[in-house]
Amino acid sequence: MRLNVTVNGEPKQADDVWEGESLLYVLRERLGLPGSKNACEQGECGSCTVYLDGVPVCSCLVAAGQAEGHDVRTVEGLADGDTLDPVQQSFVDAGAVQCGFCTPGLVVAAHDLLHRVPDPSDEEIREALAGNLCRCTGYEKILDAVRNAAATS
Amino acid sequence: MTSATSPTSTTPVTTPARTSEEAAGGIGSSPVRPDGTTKVRGEFAYSSDLWHEDMLWGATLRSPHPSARITGLDIAGALAVPGVYAVLTHADVPGVNRYGLEQPDQPVLAEDVVRYQGEPVALVAADHPETARRAMERIRVDYEELEPVTDAQAAAEGKGPAVHPGGNVVRHVPIRRGDPRATADVVVTGTYEVGMQDQAFLGPESGLAVPAEDGGIDLYVATQWLHVDQQQIVAALGLPPEKVRLTLGGVGGAFGGREDLSIQVHACLLALHTGKPVKMVYNREESFYGHVHRHPAVLHYEHGADRDGRLVYVRARIVLDGGAYASTTGAVAGNAATLGVGPYDVPNVSVDCWGVYTNNPPCGAMRGFGAVQAAFAYESQMDKLAQACGLDPVEVRTRNAMSEGTVMPTGQVVDSAAPVAELLRRVRDMPLPAGPSGEPDLRRLPGGVSNTTHGEGVVRGVGYAVGIKNICFSEGFDDYSTARVRLQAVGGEPAATVQTAACEVGQGLVTVLQQIVRTELGVEQVTVEPMDTSIGSAGSSSASRQTYVTGGAVRAAALAVRKGLLGRVGHVPGELSVSGGKVVSTRDGVLADIVDVLGDDVLEETVEWRHRPTESLDPETGQGTAHVQYAFAAHRAVVDVDTELGLVKVVALDCAQDVGKALNPQAVLGQIQGGSAQGLGLAVMEEIQTDGGLIRNPSFTDYLIPTVLDMPPMNIDVLELADPHAPYGVRGVGEPPTISSTPAIVAAIRAATGKPLTRVPVRPEHII
Amino acid sequence: MIPFDYRRPDDIGTAVATVTGNPRAAFLGGGTNLVDHMKLGVAEPELLVDVTGLTSRDIERLPDGGLRVGAGVRNSDLAADPLVRERFPVLAQALLSGASGQLRNLATTGGNLLQRTRCVYFQDVTTPCNKREPGQGCSALEGYHRHHAVLGASRQCVAVHPSDLAVALAALDAVVRVQGPGGERTIPAETLHRLPGEHPERDTVLEHGELITAVDLPGLPFGPRSRYRKARDRASFAFALVSVAAALDVAGGLVRDVRIAFGGLAHKPWRARLAEDALRGRPAAPDEFRAAAEAELADAQPLRDNGFKVPMARNMLVSVLTELSAEDGAA
Repeated sequence: MRLNVTVNGEPKQADDVWEGESLLYVLRERLGLPGSKNACEQGECGSCTVYLDGVPVCSCLVAAGQAEGHDVRTVEGLADGDTLDPVQQSFVDAGAVQCGFCTPGLVVAAHDLLHRVPDPSDEEIREALAGNLCRCTGYEKILDAVRNAAATS
Repeated sequence: MTSATSPTSTTPVTTPARTSEEAAGGIGSSPVRPDGTTKVRGEFAYSSDLWHEDMLWGATLRSPHPSARITGLDIAGALAVPGVYAVLTHADVPGVNRYGLEQPDQPVLAEDVVRYQGEPVALVAADHPETARRAMERIRVDYEELEPVTDAQAAAEGKGPAVHPGGNVVRHVPIRRGDPRATADVVVTGTYEVGMQDQAFLGPESGLAVPAEDGGIDLYVATQWLHVDQQQIVAALGLPPEKVRLTLGGVGGAFGGREDLSIQVHACLLALHTGKPVKMVYNREESFYGHVHRHPAVLHYEHGADRDGRLVYVRARIVLDGGAYASTTGAVAGNAATLGVGPYDVPNVSVDCWGVYTNNPPCGAMRGFGAVQAAFAYESQMDKLAQACGLDPVEVRTRNAMSEGTVMPTGQVVDSAAPVAELLRRVRDMPLPAGPSGEPDLRRLPGGVSNTTHGEGVVRGVGYAVGIKNICFSEGFDDYSTARVRLQAVGGEPAATVQTAACEVGQGLVTVLQQIVRTELGVEQVTVEPMDTSIGSAGSSSASRQTYVTGGAVRAAALAVRKGLLGRVGHVPGELSVSGGKVVSTRDGVLADIVDVLGDDVLEETVEWRHRPTESLDPETGQGTAHVQYAFAAHRAVVDVDTELGLVKVVALDCAQDVGKALNPQAVLGQIQGGSAQGLGLAVMEEIQTDGGLIRNPSFTDYLIPTVLDMPPMNIDVLELADPHAPYGVRGVGEPPTISSTPAIVAAIRAATGKPLTRVPVRPEHII
Repeated sequence: MIPFDYRRPDDIGTAVATVTGNPRAAFLGGGTNLVDHMKLGVAEPELLVDVTGLTSRDIERLPDGGLRVGAGVRNSDLAADPLVRERFPVLAQALLSGASGQLRNLATTGGNLLQRTRCVYFQDVTTPCNKREPGQGCSALEGYHRHHAVLGASRQCVAVHPSDLAVALAALDAVVRVQGPGGERTIPAETLHRLPGEHPERDTVLEHGELITAVDLPGLPFGPRSRYRKARDRASFAFALVSVAAALDVAGGLVRDVRIAFGGLAHKPWRARLAEDALRGRPAAPDEFRAAAEAELADAQPLRDNGFKVPMARNMLVSVLTELSAEDGAA
């Protein structure tokens, strides 16, 4: 099937999409946007988190057809040209990135949190990020990054 | 170009090492990672992101049985599927159909038998991953199922059928020191069990193999050790090494789980066979079958002490279940045995450790590597001993703590700092978290956001543990790294490049190598080149060794370049150094800009660097100077346990660790935090469940790792007691925090509940 | 995943007719469970009929003080709704204790109720499972079953239902509105899910082609005094070992009315009628709560490795009711 979807503000079209493909697969393999990650592809890790119509979701569980006509924003669409989003910059500065495989999903989830709750408590940060697994950092520096991003934005 | 061997074994570096810490972004500072920006933008190319024109997708058909004879194999149905380009079996392996890190006992593709669930049997290359998957369903394999060997204890005793022709004992390591019949006034015994833990790195096994015009292959892959992969691929493909070229793809975590081969040979076989690039990516389920795990262990311990709690003897029998293939079981057994009494001074020791074959999932390297299993047992014993002697848990440990000069059970004399007692005192003296008061935030209580506990039935407990780990490869292994450093003027500025084959797996090695070059050459602009096999081996990104060994090699190469640079200045009064892009004399200050000294020339040096040699263990007594360096960390855990529901909340997990020298303090903290979190996972949730050799929970739904709500804030105290034998005095950082975290948490749960808790992970059913 | 067709019909009637006409068709809501099961080969529909955008995403007030929740309402929206939080806190708490934010943003009310079990054997197509393939046998009986049922199981199946939402709905006497080939009908939430009996392949009483369109929450004056609690293996993002949904009405120190349902104990949300009956008219006191819990759990038949669920459920119920009674007394 042919899929029409707006990604990071631009209308995109993918042809020959098989019905069983996920939005994640379409983004990564057909639209050249591999930033969203494929750590579990079962909705259990959050590494594939993207905005779908402004709401963060696990793109691995969205059947491609369900994205037809919808608006998607991925980690590639957060920075303004060479200027990183404050959340992205905070992740770099705080040392919240090690292997970085969880980072795109966490950056999107944290970005969403700070839009909803500009000055979150630690417990609110933890609850909001509980759907994103990280295996490298023990989460401490991710919390630092979100706190710093909240303070600077 | 020169090649040199490290002189450190004969001329130890004085400590603290001479550094130019004023170099911006040099050692001792925490500059941002060179790959940080691309990672937060989603632009960093992980091995699973690679793409090539015309590429095919590879897939692996695996055995559903833990033990079976293959009586028939028919690939015709799969070959007939439109879009399928190749279906391969063991008959298509052109070289030797065996690989393995310690011994080549593992088939690339199964021949007449399969020895574990998930063993690769056939390969498919197709135009879409789904086409490949459907083709696999049309491969007919006839199995004659056999009773799997699943009892590791029986395997150690030589009972039951042999998984491999030589029997089921991969390695038996005895350690004998002092009087084997020593007696003591106070004796405590215990049997402990450690479940099978998974590395659970997030980036799945993946890579891209591209056939080359010379008949060779270029492989881009996520791994921990490019050259040992290359060696094994070369043997399996029957190609000369120069025709098998590896480049590191972006690595999404490793923790030991990428030290063994996964897709490497398979992708190359498919690419060579089809003449097309082939990409392979495991999904999470396949990842659980596609890499080794932490050895499950059963450990019997007897500790004898005088009435003051001073250890007289330790006797232990440890059985590690290596599963179907050897992988690194021999080395893991060596660690569990040689580190089996922990960081304590024990005059009489008798330890026997067996690593065995079974038909369970293969086990090998995971962060902590044999030391984790032993530490859970010996630290549980130390708490028992404290109780038996009426001593505080910190007191009994400090009374027995080893220190510099202690003789290990192997006879090795510890010849650098071993601040075991100091680390324990430091965690003991850290502030304790306040108890719940007023209206507690439920997210801080056991059960977290589940609104589970409102404070009734909640008991607090505090526990301590300290652990020991060997750093670098041991037992006589020729452990070296190769580094090339180049210096030239680029656009009027001095610029250095550093090349190694050392795998950046997320730990931040690329940053540390840049820092070393900045410090030694006094230049800010340092580029780390892609890691590949065009340069000599760097050894593995494991055993907490890369900062030590590849850091040592880069430092040596940079010093050689600096020597060449200063040689061009000629003889001038005073001592010369480099700093801030200038050549500086101690007498006359700035003499010249580095760019002017260089002119149009490029200075390049390549160095192969070794740490001081180690010895193998005596096979009868386990005596020998087997380890290069020891590292230590201590934890204090504070837990709240809901005794009514059996739920545990770790409310504090504080750590003190000696790192010798923190080349990058931020990265050191990241290692301690991440390592402690993996220890927390083993303590209270992580276990691969097997049943008759079959994995029952190969998903992140059923294999749980800690979330951000499970990890408490940490107080961390980093000591820097330089090791005079190591470059800059560094001591490996990555593994120690994983070792003491688990027993400290379990000790805290015991303190809260009074339950014996002899097995990890601890679950609600063990408490309620 | 087997090949399948995907359709997005324009209205519910067409959707129902389309699924009804094809025995291997399935409705697709948020996809958080079905898409995963298709990847695992557990579900193999040949036609997916997408009903997102068809079923209502509205939460309406009912005249009796209750609410009507459209089947298309996302879990996150339902949990955040001010009326839900005020009138039925147990419901919001149940939703927020499940999955993760990213999943709650996808998962729908209807789809959540139709989640299938997380039994590891059901999800592993290489092992026998009567729920997936009737007649194969149950691997969990003697296998890895610490998550499994202690109440109402059969030799055919010992799986548990994974939904948190469904447990709260069972306690609240919610009514499920269904549209099928024969028109509309309503089903009490408590009886939507079945016990396994001889037909563990059937999770619910729905017929093929029937689509959940809404859930009605009848007005419950003491609904504001309700709680959901859940015990699991980590602090979030895991399925229940045991959960409790309860609402309590106390007058003069006596239990005037009470609603209780357990999750994680059975093939369906377990409405604790025995405990409720034992409590009505009795003092609102911990020893009474304990006796009621024990009455409800007296018939529990634990498997080899899940006996801990019985004291866990008992203690959790006592704790929840004790807390609710304290709150009630203070009010």
